[in-house]
Amino acid sequence: MKGVPEALRNLRGETAYIDDLPEPRDLLHAAVQLSEGARGKILSIDPSRALALDPAVRVVTAHDVPGENQIGSAVPDEPLLPEGEWEYWGQPLVLCLAPTRQLAREAARLVTIVSETLRPVLDPREAAGQDAFVMPSRTQSMGNPGAAFAAAAFTAEGRVESGGQEHLYLETQGAYAERRDGDRVFVISSTQGTTIVQRAIARVLGLPQSGVEVEARRLGGGFGGKEDQATPWACLAALGAWVSGKPVKLYLDRATDMRATGKRHPYSTDFRIAADKDGRITAFEADYYQNSGSSCDLSPAIMSRTLFHAAGAYRIPNLRVTGRMCRTNLPSFTAFRGFGAPQGYFVIEAALDAISNRMGFDPVELRRRNLLSEGDVTHYGMPLKEVRAIEAFDRVLEKTGWKALRADIEAFNASHPLEKRGAAIIPNCFGVSFTKLPMNRGGALVHVHADGSVLVSTGAVEMGQQVSRKIARIAAKSLGVPLELIRVERTSSLTVANTVPTAASTGCDINGAAARVACLEIRDRLLAHAATLRASGPGLLSLEEGRLLEGSADTSMTWKQLVTSADESRVDLSAHGYWSTPGLFYDMKTERGSPFAYHVYGAALVEVRLDCLCGRVKVERATIVHDAGTSIDPVVDLCQVEGAFAQGLGWALLEELRFGADGRPMSDNLSTYKVPDVHFLPARLDIEFLSETGSPASVLNSKAIGEPPLIYGIAGYFALLEAIRAARGDRIESWDLPLVPEKVLGLLAGTGRVLGQKDLQ
Amino acid sequence: MRITLKVNGGTYTREVEGHRTLLRFLREDLGFTGTKEGCGAGECGACTVIMDGKTVNSCMVLALEADGANVETIEGEASAGKLSVIQEAFDRHHAVQCGYCTGGMIMSVRDLLHRNPKPSVEEIKEGIEGNFCRCTGYQQIIEAVLDASGQLGEGPGQVREGRLEHA
Ligand code: FES
Ligand code: FES
Repeated sequence: MKGVPEALRNLRGETAYIDDLPEPRDLLHAAVQLSEGARGKILSIDPSRALALDPAVRVVTAHDVPGENQIGSAVPDEPLLPEGEWEYWGQPLVLCLAPTRQLAREAARLVTIVSETLRPVLDPREAAGQDAFVMPSRTQSMGNPGAAFAAAAFTAEGRVESGGQEHLYLETQGAYAERRDGDRVFVISSTQGTTIVQRAIARVLGLPQSGVEVEARRLGGGFGGKEDQATPWACLAALGAWVSGKPVKLYLDRATDMRATGKRHPYSTDFRIAADKDGRITAFEADYYQNSGSSCDLSPAIMSRTLFHAAGAYRIPNLRVTGRMCRTNLPSFTAFRGFGAPQGYFVIEAALDAISNRMGFDPVELRRRNLLSEGDVTHYGMPLKEVRAIEAFDRVLEKTGWKALRADIEAFNASHPLEKRGAAIIPNCFGVSFTKLPMNRGGALVHVHADGSVLVSTGAVEMGQQVSRKIARIAAKSLGVPLELIRVERTSSLTVANTVPTAASTGCDINGAAARVACLEIRDRLLAHAATLRASGPGLLSLEEGRLLEGSADTSMTWKQLVTSADESRVDLSAHGYWSTPGLFYDMKTERGSPFAYHVYGAALVEVRLDCLCGRVKVERATIVHDAGTSIDPVVDLCQVEGAFAQGLGWALLEELRFGADGRPMSDNLSTYKVPDVHFLPARLDIEFLSETGSPASVLNSKAIGEPPLIYGIAGYFALLEAIRAARGDRIESWDLPLVPEKVLGLLAGTGRVLGQKDLQ
Repeated sequence: MRITLKVNGGTYTREVEGHRTLLRFLREDLGFTGTKEGCGAGECGACTVIMDGKTVNSCMVLALEADGANVETIEGEASAGKLSVIQEAFDRHHAVQCGYCTGGMIMSVRDLLHRNPKPSVEEIKEGIEGNFCRCTGYQQIIEAVLDASGQLGEGPGQVREGRLEHA
């Protein structure tokens, strides 16, 4: 970590997140009043009680928006502040400004809003019944599923539910804004995408994008929750600064954040699966009902990833999958690490679970038998290269001594009536690239200073995933200098424009590649200059660790001497790098193409122990074998696997997002929403990376790491299901995630009835 | 009301309102912003500080209650610019991702190691169970504590069996 001062500053408590920045004397704090009721109509807004609090209080409503009162990027269905109807419980209705945070919050509470409540729709299937979609539905297919089902030796079908998931980034949403020179704004936002915020503010304030400067410093976590959903808060702060002329800070308290912002999409899915007598899957069909929430947001892109991952890591020759994006009166569900893939994965794994029951076939063997292998073509027509699904799966079998482990678990279960163990293995095949093709680009600006120090700016936002550390390594390697010389700057619209959000695990792939392009350009200029100095061919010269080499011999020239000399000879030491991921294409009409740069493979075993009396579950161990390509930074990648797995396991077994029957958010703090604590994670966590082979189409042959390992958490679900089955002595089927202790007890009680989303309504 | 307290060795006297939390007081009145608010409800531990030798969630303590107290925050952890043993171990084991939990986490670890210089893994878990971390999955934090307490064998870089060798 040396050479990356940010990390050390963090350890000392010196990192300045937005809320830590020194406050200007005339700062106004902002606060919002949230809607009470899942759907309603504003009849009147009376600010008088708020204004009576203090002469400095200001109440800002939709009428104060100078530009367009709209922040929906794909579909214009998200007013910044609603003028008439609101669409979910917790939607911000008015903004209040005041000199202290407390006064602003008090003022927001005191604004009187007279309203009328309307009947909400909360269930995605009900919404589908009313044709309430955020986008038309979408189908991908291959082969002839109808014929395959008719000819199948075995078929199974079922319904799968998966719940929402709160991001719980530890730093809540927030932004700081200033109006400058009368006609432009400066904003610091806790966002994963500076351009998204810049574009929305320009729209809301009626400014050109060039008049909106947006900066993102290190975020206290994002996980997708700050991809599109940092935007309203940044826009509100900018609006406040615009109308008041004063600097404005808007920071949400936890309950406001959890009520007002979107989370992972809940899905409800019907599936059908068929297999031949040898246990080969011949057909699969699924109808996904995505609960998209109150607005379109990123729902179509998320559904796109669900469809692309419908077959998981399996070869399925006949397939038809349809995604419906259902508009409901819940917060607009949004990006969350995995971005629709985990939901798709859970369904296909449930389907394999179902068919293995029907056949009486060992689920591990069934999964293994159907894994993808080299040359297979996905249902969207992409031939797969360097497929490592079987290799990873077999390595997990080997590492865990699966046969012996299974026998051990069976023996344990036979002799322990009140305690049961269960284990499951889940494979992984995760496509990397934004599913929205034009987003697959990165930008960087690199300055080499005359003293040899290097400043790198890119579109990537640092939120703890250590993308700056990886980019620093890429820059050092590309220039041939020691890591200590590289400094990675915060993300700003001044240095890199037209960025894409740091998301889809691509932050390092695309921005690192752009930084490499810029660094190589500067390096080449420097080598050309060195060639004139040494009367040598530039092809013979190279830079390594800050030394100039000729062939393999060290010249006496250092990096610093070369840079100083080049600067004096008027060589440009700055470059802008741009990267657009090559080889991607997709035809939305035929649903065929090559939407991913490459796939990430892996497999994981999770073992749990169940206390049958109280439903308590202990995750005993996890063994993960993962494909990180040629890792740029193995420690960073290891930590990403651990963190993603923890979130996946939380999603599968613990984190239950609840809404009341009236759409009221019931999970609004850590006391009402359980997240993994230090006791939840397995005592034995063994992570191994597959050996480096091949050359994935990514920067320095590395592979994206942020999201793919989240999938392994799903193994926890099926491991627990096996333990429950051992307790019941049957093969009960229930695919209703998260499998929290209440549901476990329901299953153990033999009722077969599981409390799910629907019971809450 | 006027209170006087020590923070990281310095003495501060300030007027505070009765409802002001120690967290807000430290952050806004004294500028010790290394202590974070994660939940404001005593649930996450991001605001952990040591008060008179015991860890407290500073969002649940009134500034008034700290009158006369000796408070230690993350800013006091390094001395004269040198990272403490715990901070160095956190650095080595990459126990920091977004960093928002880190200040509070290190305060809890400091308290733990003060009470129990060689904690077992179970005792480490108990020591930090009030500190929520969304990013790391806790593994690296546990290893950092084992390392900081000299339980990872000879020198840095040693890790438990079956784990990737740390750089
Ligand atoms: S902010 Fe004090 S415990 Fe969360
Ligand atoms: S490092 Fe992000 S919450 Fe712990």
